[in-house]
Amino acid sequence: MGFPCYVRPMRQAARGRTWKRKRWSGGVLSSPGRKSQTLPMEASSEPPLDAKSDVTNQLVDFQWKLGMAVSSDTCRSLKYPYVAVMLKVADHSGQVKTKCFEMTIPQFQNFYRQFKEIAAVIETV
Amino acid sequence: MAAGELEGGKPLSWLLNALAQDTFHGYPGITEELLRSQLYPEVPPEEFRPFLAKMRGILKSIASADMDFNQLEAFLTAQTKKQGGITSDQAAVISKFWKSHKTKIRESLMNQSRWNSGLRGLSWRVDGKSQSRHSAQIHTPVAIIELELGKYGQESEFLCLEFDEVKVNQILKTLSEVEESISTLISQPN
Repeated sequence: MGFPCYVRPMRQAARGRTWKRKRWSGGVLSSPGRKSQTLPMEASSEPPLDAKSDVTNQLVDFQWKLGMAVSSDTCRSLKYPYVAVMLKVADHSGQVKTKCFEMTIPQFQNFYRQFKEIAAVIETV
Repeated sequence: MAAGELEGGKPLSWLLNALAQDTFHGYPGITEELLRSQLYPEVPPEEFRPFLAKMRGILKSIASADMDFNQLEAFLTAQTKKQGGITSDQAAVISKFWKSHKTKIRESLMNQSRWNSGLRGLSWRVDGKSQSRHSAQIHTPVAIIELELGKYGQESEFLCLEFDEVKVNQILKTLSEVEESISTLISQPN
């Protein structure tokens, strides 16, 4: 699969950009993260590096299904619903890859909540 | 005398814990000899082996059926009545163990049965407008989202995605459809 590790361009982010970061892990919102900050514009003699384009992917497609696990060889009575997601993502070269993952219902609800928060922040920036 | 050694109490409680770690939570290195020497050193191996198998079998049956407390009591009572079954002391220890560990064991069973990657974490950042003295281009705000994905027992991999505001709202719309489906499922009687 070989997705590159994401290297956060923290110094790049500091240059004249406002940002707000939160971390959620395993369904529990952990440390509050850093507050929004606006830093003074810096004059640069070189064009700003767009480090993001080498390490981030564009979402091409988002498919989902809601499933119910009923039984398995290790547990006859599973009985839990789950959300299965299939993402199609394009890297900087345009190559498209598929990524699949599953979430329990509480995990999905946290996922949804995070996206609502992102939408609220991106609207104000 | 050896049978008396195998009564309930602390050793059985610890044994069940170790069995759960081995059977459900994937903790390595828990061998029969380790358990016997640590918890029941006075019991000969040829007696300990069937006892261990019996306890493991009972624990697996309870977990597999995801027994509620009524089912548990009925099951354990039946075990005390059968030939070569368990004592009522042992039943009490098993009952107490299941009540306090049920949620965690069930979570492990759910994780084990998921063969796709699970979502282990999510972090995000919004980059705002910026300008440069040398470029008239103004970047529109983007959200950068990092998903931490991983299969059961394997290391995480990270997927980094970039969204503009339009895309974020498209995803939100899709997620609201998912939520609607979940509500429909939950409200259906089964």
